[in-house]
Amino acid sequence: MPRLARSEWYDLARDMNWKVSYVEESDAWPDELSTAKGIPMEAWWGWDEPYKVSYREYVHNQAGKDASVYAVNSVVARSKMFSQLDEGWKSAILAHYGAIAAAEYLASIGESRMGRFGRAAAWRNMALYGTLDEIRHGQIQTYFPYGLLDREPRADWAHKTFHTNEWGAIAARHLFDDMFTANDAVSTAIQLTFTFETGFTNLQFLGMAADAMEVGDIDFGALISSIQTDEARHSQQGEPTMKLLIEHGHKDYAQKLVDHMFWRSWHVFALLTGLSMDYYTPLEHRSHSFKEFMDEWIVKQFLDQFRDFGLEPSWYWEDFLKETNWYHHALHLGVWFWRPTVWWNPDGGVSPAEREWLEEKYPGWNDTFGRYWDVIAENVRNGRPELTLPETFPMVCNMCQIPLCNPAGHAAGHLDSPVPLVHDHAGRRYTFCSQPCKWIFEQNPGRFQGHMSIIDRFLAGQIQPPTVPGALAYMGLSPEEMGRDATDCSWAFANGTVLTRGA
Amino acid sequence: MIMAPFPVQGITEGDFVVVLVPVDTEDPMTTVAEKIAHHAVNRRVPENDRPMVVRHNGRVLAADTTVVDAGVAPLDVLEVVHPS
Repeated sequence: MPRLARSEWYDLARDMNWKVSYVEESDAWPDELSTAKGIPMEAWWGWDEPYKVSYREYVHNQAGKDASVYAVNSVVARSKMFSQLDEGWKSAILAHYGAIAAAEYLASIGESRMGRFGRAAAWRNMALYGTLDEIRHGQIQTYFPYGLLDREPRADWAHKTFHTNEWGAIAARHLFDDMFTANDAVSTAIQLTFTFETGFTNLQFLGMAADAMEVGDIDFGALISSIQTDEARHSQQGEPTMKLLIEHGHKDYAQKLVDHMFWRSWHVFALLTGLSMDYYTPLEHRSHSFKEFMDEWIVKQFLDQFRDFGLEPSWYWEDFLKETNWYHHALHLGVWFWRPTVWWNPDGGVSPAEREWLEEKYPGWNDTFGRYWDVIAENVRNGRPELTLPETFPMVCNMCQIPLCNPAGHAAGHLDSPVPLVHDHAGRRYTFCSQPCKWIFEQNPGRFQGHMSIIDRFLAGQIQPPTVPGALAYMGLSPEEMGRDATDCSWAFANGTVLTRGA
Repeated sequence: MIMAPFPVQGITEGDFVVVLVPVDTEDPMTTVAEKIAHHAVNRRVPENDRPMVVRHNGRVLAADTTVVDAGVAPLDVLEVVHPS
């Protein structure tokens, strides 16, 4: 290690900034990729990260982390641990691997863009570590499920998902392309690192790691903990970027970037984490409800961040808080009913004991959501699995690409109308689930208007034959891969009623 | 009269989600209601003996009006409700 203390040489070694003279600044840092907002180059040189690390320290730390987590994986791989895990929990981690592993790898593109087009050497230095982090996260979250293939072949969706047109993959690509794969450096710092990582995933990974240890999934717990320590570091690129924008009079711009990405992040977060926490995690291991997690961690942290930077809570904040009561319950119902369209086995998770827990955590749940499950459970008990499976598709939002569950929000008393927002633009019809999703589109229609949702593709004749089986094949799902209920609907059979299989 | 497939966004009263429903341009609203409700009733919504009507932009459409005569556009939202 260096003989000088890091603080004695770090700033000098890090700040390799100079004014370019052989080329124009606008050629070296094109605004499309960099977005300086007119802030002078020298001002960017004041960018200062709160968490400092040298390259040598970085490599040393990362090598240690990898040695530790791969050792756990190596030991666990020789055990029966995975096979003994709760079926619902297995669903949660299969969903996670498919949605996240390749996305982490793609995030290295966004980090690389900051590493090249960030306007300060200090920032570029941090982004280099971020790039290496995300490559590591992509690789490690592909390797771990690879080791599960002999026990769960669908673990290959960790690699496969993003190469398919499965509807969740389309939703994830749409979000992550917007957030980092096709975003400029400044917006990536605010939207990926400040909003998504600091605001959502950093906290989510802490919660998931704790939950994994609670259910006995040491492998996943070690993996997620290891990743989280990287996230905690590189997510801090957002804060100094935010400070600079605000100091130079661009608070409104920063606010708009946050408002845009907070809403988008929330919807995908509800889809993945909401279902895992409130339905897939075994009841006896649930330490909190999804709403409690949102209130105690995400909401509180964001309000603190808004206050610290002089920003306002997003204009849709009240609508967002309302959604924390109902949105993920509706998504769970949709994912379960359209379970052949996902690569994991959704756990209905509505046994009498679980319904009691849901009613306690979400007063009124039995009246608002339990009544749908009453009809479904009766069909299961009566041996009518065909009535628990889809014959058409849910409409999806043209921004978040997630099914339109407005009627559930209306029925639960949180939306004024069950009808989604229809918007005609440039000769094409778009449908949005919410005012924020429509607002995001209207802020920059050129960025979004060409995208075709899974329903748009179906109606345009891209899915042949135009049937449910044709669409499942289009999504890359073979019969063996399509989701089934994780416990063969055991939740529908209280008091020892005979199980009717087939759902 | 030529029947032509026609996609609408259907909501059945008491259901949780908006679904894609192919109807035909010459379908009367009684048929449209049945086609939409088929995807929800007895699946997530209990059966209800009361008559169903179709609501379009807040207005109830006459039972014998066809899709094309009602001026419904592709991907318009049609609600199937039980009038109180």
